[in-house]
Amino acid sequence: MEALYLLIPLSVAAIFVAAWLFLRMSDQGQFEDMDAPAWSVLHDDDRPPVAETETEMKSEADADAASPTPTVPGIQHRRSGD
Amino acid sequence: MALTCFHCGQPVPDPGRWHSEVAGQTRPMCCAGCQAVTDAIVAAGLDDYYRTRTELPAPGWRPPQGLALAPGGGPTAGSDAAPDPAAEHAAEQALKIYDEPEVQARFVRRDGDHCEATLLVEGIRCGACVWLIERQLQAQPGVGQVSVNMATERATLRYDPRATPLSALLAAAARIGYRLRPFDPLRREQALRKASRAMFRRLFIAGLGMMQVMMYAIPVYLAEPGDIEPQWDALLRWASLVLTLPVVLYSAQPFFAGAWRDLRARSPGMDVPVAIALAAAFIASVHATFTGHGEVWFDSVTMFVFLLLGARYLEWMARRRAARTLDALSASVPDTAERIDPATGAADRVPASRLMPGDHFRVAPGERIAVDAVLLDDTTTIDQSLLTGESRPVPVSRGAELPGGSINTGHPVMLRALRAAGDSTISTIERLAERAAAQRPRIVGLTDRIARLFVVALLVLAAAVWLAWLQIDPSRAAGIAIAVLVVSCPCALSLATPAALAAAGSSALQRGMLVANSDLLLRAAEATDVVFDKTGTLTAGRPGLIALEPVPGAGERLGVAHRQDDLALEKRLLAIAAALEAGQSHPVAAAIRQAAAGLDIPIASQPRTVQGFGVQAVIDGHGWRLGSRAFAGELPANTGGTTAPRPDADADPGDTEVWLADESGAVARLRLRDTLRPEAAEVVATLATRGLQLHLLSGDDPATVARVAERLGIVTHRGGARPDDKLAYVAALQQAGRKVVMVGDGVNDAPVLAAADVSVAVGEASSLARTAAGVVLLGRQLTDLCTLLTLATDTRRIVRQNLGWAMAYNTLAIPAAAIGWVPPAVAAIGMSASSLLVAMNALRLLPRAERRTGLRPDPREVPKPDPRLHGGAG
Amino acid sequence: MGASRSLTGETYNYKVVRQLTIMTVVWGFVGMLVGLFIAAQLAWPALNFDIAWLTYGRLRPLHTNAVIFAFGGTGLMATSLYVVQRTCQTPLFAPGLASFVFWGWQAVIVAAVITLPMGITHSKEYAELEWPIDLLITAVWVSYAIVFFGTIARRKTPHIYVANWFYGAFIITIAVLHIINNLAIPVTWTKSYSLYAGVQDAMVQWWYGHNAVGFFLTAGFLGMMYYFIPKQAERPVYSYRLSIVHFWALIFTYMWAGPHHLHYTALPDWAQSVGMVFSLILLAPSWGGMINGIMTLSGAWHKLRTDPILKFLIVSLSFYGMSTFEGPMMSIKTVNALSHYTDWTVGHVHSGALGWVGFITMGSVYYLLPRLFGRTEMHSVKAIEAHFWIATIGVVLYIAAMWIAGVTQGLMWRATNADGTLTYAFIESLKATYPYYYIRVLGGLLYLTGMGVMVWNMVMTIRAGRPVDAPVPRLDPAHA
Repeated sequence: MEALYLLIPLSVAAIFVAAWLFLRMSDQGQFEDMDAPAWSVLHDDDRPPVAETETEMKSEADADAASPTPTVPGIQHRRSGD
Repeated sequence: MALTCFHCGQPVPDPGRWHSEVAGQTRPMCCAGCQAVTDAIVAAGLDDYYRTRTELPAPGWRPPQGLALAPGGGPTAGSDAAPDPAAEHAAEQALKIYDEPEVQARFVRRDGDHCEATLLVEGIRCGACVWLIERQLQAQPGVGQVSVNMATERATLRYDPRATPLSALLAAAARIGYRLRPFDPLRREQALRKASRAMFRRLFIAGLGMMQVMMYAIPVYLAEPGDIEPQWDALLRWASLVLTLPVVLYSAQPFFAGAWRDLRARSPGMDVPVAIALAAAFIASVHATFTGHGEVWFDSVTMFVFLLLGARYLEWMARRRAARTLDALSASVPDTAERIDPATGAADRVPASRLMPGDHFRVAPGERIAVDAVLLDDTTTIDQSLLTGESRPVPVSRGAELPGGSINTGHPVMLRALRAAGDSTISTIERLAERAAAQRPRIVGLTDRIARLFVVALLVLAAAVWLAWLQIDPSRAAGIAIAVLVVSCPCALSLATPAALAAAGSSALQRGMLVANSDLLLRAAEATDVVFDKTGTLTAGRPGLIALEPVPGAGERLGVAHRQDDLALEKRLLAIAAALEAGQSHPVAAAIRQAAAGLDIPIASQPRTVQGFGVQAVIDGHGWRLGSRAFAGELPANTGGTTAPRPDADADPGDTEVWLADESGAVARLRLRDTLRPEAAEVVATLATRGLQLHLLSGDDPATVARVAERLGIVTHRGGARPDDKLAYVAALQQAGRKVVMVGDGVNDAPVLAAADVSVAVGEASSLARTAAGVVLLGRQLTDLCTLLTLATDTRRIVRQNLGWAMAYNTLAIPAAAIGWVPPAVAAIGMSASSLLVAMNALRLLPRAERRTGLRPDPREVPKPDPRLHGGAG
Repeated sequence: MGASRSLTGETYNYKVVRQLTIMTVVWGFVGMLVGLFIAAQLAWPALNFDIAWLTYGRLRPLHTNAVIFAFGGTGLMATSLYVVQRTCQTPLFAPGLASFVFWGWQAVIVAAVITLPMGITHSKEYAELEWPIDLLITAVWVSYAIVFFGTIARRKTPHIYVANWFYGAFIITIAVLHIINNLAIPVTWTKSYSLYAGVQDAMVQWWYGHNAVGFFLTAGFLGMMYYFIPKQAERPVYSYRLSIVHFWALIFTYMWAGPHHLHYTALPDWAQSVGMVFSLILLAPSWGGMINGIMTLSGAWHKLRTDPILKFLIVSLSFYGMSTFEGPMMSIKTVNALSHYTDWTVGHVHSGALGWVGFITMGSVYYLLPRLFGRTEMHSVKAIEAHFWIATIGVVLYIAAMWIAGVTQGLMWRATNADGTLTYAFIESLKATYPYYYIRVLGGLLYLTGMGVMVWNMVMTIRAGRPVDAPVPRLDPAHA
């Protein structure tokens, strides 16, 4: 079981590293707010830009007002889904 | 289907009038305010907010607009005035007060070129709001980091004041519908946060150590003896040792430090046996690891530290939660007021601390009244929820005293300051509450003494046990002695009782009861008798004027004809009486002033109060007096001899009367009748069913007192009692071994109140500072008395439960450990479990953590998408 | 979308994400194809055509490496590099290095495809690749770590989103595990000897093996889950606090579960017991993650009806829950006495691999592809739906077949007669379990077919779109 001479100290060292990391993150305030970060990814708009220039986007938006807005893949359109 | 506002969800009163373009669609708006806010959000490119939000603004929310943008502003009645650029500009100017260094000192910290401001955010409903505010502020020039914490509703803002002043940032947030207010971190929060963080770290390291050491201990438990070869056994022990080190050296710090302190002060507390046990167990285990012989207790050590820290952490959190009620109070202390110069009418927004008594200031609807003040305008309604727990708007009329800290919920009014900010109601309550929280209840002193004796006895016992076992079986001696030290739990004494009292105090405060010392709660639980004062306690303390009877000849003396059909004489006399009572706080004065509302009150100069008798002043060059019969008649040149008023058919011996007199003698009699509090009968009945003896003791006329007692069902009553009579009465009861709760208005009868076991004031909040009572019922409801007694008995019950448990547990566990039935690990678990149990039992006294207005969403709740979120006709 | 949001010209590095995402699908198909082939070989042994390179012994490691490292690994790289950029609001650190990560990793896979059928192997499970490739893996992995953590260091958002914690833990742990387990003494370019011998090697190997499962197949994909489920469901994580708590719980308890692979072997009894106890303890943090993910859909269950991507993502969590329950159960010694060396173990592995790893990756890739190519959705949403159902039936057939086969084997192998002799000869147990091998092939075929549909869908989507790099949003102060 000589392998244990390697594995056990390694695990102990890993624990110390993990604990140090946890405390440092705690100090930096990573765990202050446990509610808002869940929303942050939702606010990141990653829908593909459908046109390169602003004018194109604007005219696209106008067109969208007349016709149903493009859906996010797989998501049912909000009006009929909710 | 009714059209609803796209932004706030309220019904649209005037369809088609207000609308905004959002993401290429026209959306209905209910008012100019919502339209402005929505336009601002869209213009900032933040309309994703509408896509992702899951909550509408709170019901009753109104967008901050116009004057309400100003620091004091808040919900206005749904305004359909067109957006007024002039008003907006004025509001932005008003915000400039937050740029003043004096105001900023409380919540802005300078850091080189930058400033860091901590602000309270009003209006957060869900994560989308957080995103919205952060984005809006980050887009302003000079802003570095913005972080908004949804749970605590605080925002930290880092900005360069040279690029943008704070007022502009506040205005930017207001434009999209959120009010930011200063939050003062210096007073409590920073210190608390640091302590909290340190505690948490220790707990975390202890928990981690415990888990890991367990991992290496389990193979030893699971294996048969001899199964594990010595070198692996050693390896496991070494690993455990290394993992226990941080726990003992860092996490267990508070125990060692506490024990050292205790020993230096020569008064051993609970930390001493804990520290000794930990040190002994750890050193013995280290020794065993080095030599390879003997038992190791690393797992017990880490577990013990973790569980004990856990119990202390819980107790500490309880105290912090109690402190949060105070936080809410201090966060509501108004910081600014709009002072008006009575001569020129010029308005000037100043820090609240600069208001002097006599200053006139204007309070907008939704704004908090900065200092105790007198209402100069006709009527309005106020919300005193933070002071009394009562959130229904209370109508007040001219001349009424409004406590500082209450919110004006009616229309804009002018007020005259009565006291400076520091002396005003909310500041006083805050000060008293803070003092109460810091006080050390007497019973805690008592339990501490007992705990000390216990600890000394325990140490002696442990030493004896160790010596004894050295004779019987030396290999077990150390383990058993350690087990004895570890298993004992005086925690109910030193840990749980203070926690219970703190929780009870906080619970009381939240219900509008200010308890000067938590001892009083326990004493109230022992009460056998309740002694009531009459005026202001059982009665509303607001007598009403029912008749003003001029004496015969009064009309001629004043040159006003006394006719049957008009009341010109009465009105004139009433006006004079009101002038005399201007500025007096006595209920009779308030009644007279109220009756005289609308009359032309002359100015009374050289006013003088003669204590116990009445007031006098000069009006239109003549001297006037108002007070008791004797006082009114006591004037030179008393023409007309003993005049008596016309006999009145429905004169009631129970009514109060005051006499108005001029230089020549009595001129009129004013009769006032005090009404009983509506809840008085119910309260008396409830107290009677609890088995309490009730007494009515009053300085008033015995017949009145008898009538009142009969009406309420109080058997024992006495009228005409002077202060020393009252004192003697209470003393007699106490000598008979009874515990007396005295209920009065707290302002008078100070010595009697001090004599009673518990004194309760059902007083006017504005006379708080003068109260000598131990408990003040801020809500001014007698029913709070029942609540108080229930809370008291609950507190006593819980303290007794804890003490009972502690006794039972220690009686069983310590002998068991001494005999050797309890291995150290089990002792650790037992002690910690017991400790946790009493701590959590104490926490049951805490009020449930829900904010009064219920505005804060529960962060654990996943909000359901509201079909209204996408506007009315869609 | 806010039309007045001005674009500063900075874009995210989608190029490497695109490359990795496409190869994820490709390698997925390849790895599953090899899997199907060797499953067929178990049913029809003649399928090795007596060619050395096609023998089961050589192709099985190719299959495991291809699905775990080529499919799973590339998928983790693709999603992690996407997620880290978007949650940190900054493009990748060291884009040149990121490119090396892609090409280097592909080189590793190609090297595996070449060397493993040639029989060049360590013969340590999931660590078969010989030492030169191990060195390349180390180089690629270190670069990967630099790119990932460098991006986090450069982040514009103060808070590090929880998914990045899982990815980060996965990256660091795999580096340590890989290095320790693959320590060897090279003899020739194609041969080396492990530093450890005998039961020591077994201990290290399974310390590696189970931690690899824990950090590669669990932590890494949990990171994927914590990003793509909220995004697709458009709802926040059910309890963010729970996600942090269960992350740290997982980190601190995973170390010692390894020995449960070695029950009733030469490993000391007490070490086996340790493995058992900790495998049981692991149940809690694992299920914390599952509950958190599934409950994220709370209030939006109706979306499952219409959204096949969400089906993939949520059903993957069900399989995850199942596997993380089954695993601890199987690590109990008495249960293990029945299951060890049987096909039940294979069933367990594949419920986790096909159900959890496969589905979460597919769902995430379906989310990513349109965004990488400027489309609003995949070429055919119906095809996603079809893929889901075909694959699910395939998984169910597979694991059901293996359960029955496994229990049958276990029971038959340990059946003894009254006099203590074995009741059944090995060949009899083989005959009894044969039919289930056919069913397994069918299950695998269905799963592969689904993958084929995905390849087609991907190709059509790419052809109709064009590579697009999303702009890094910055708010223009003038608009506030």
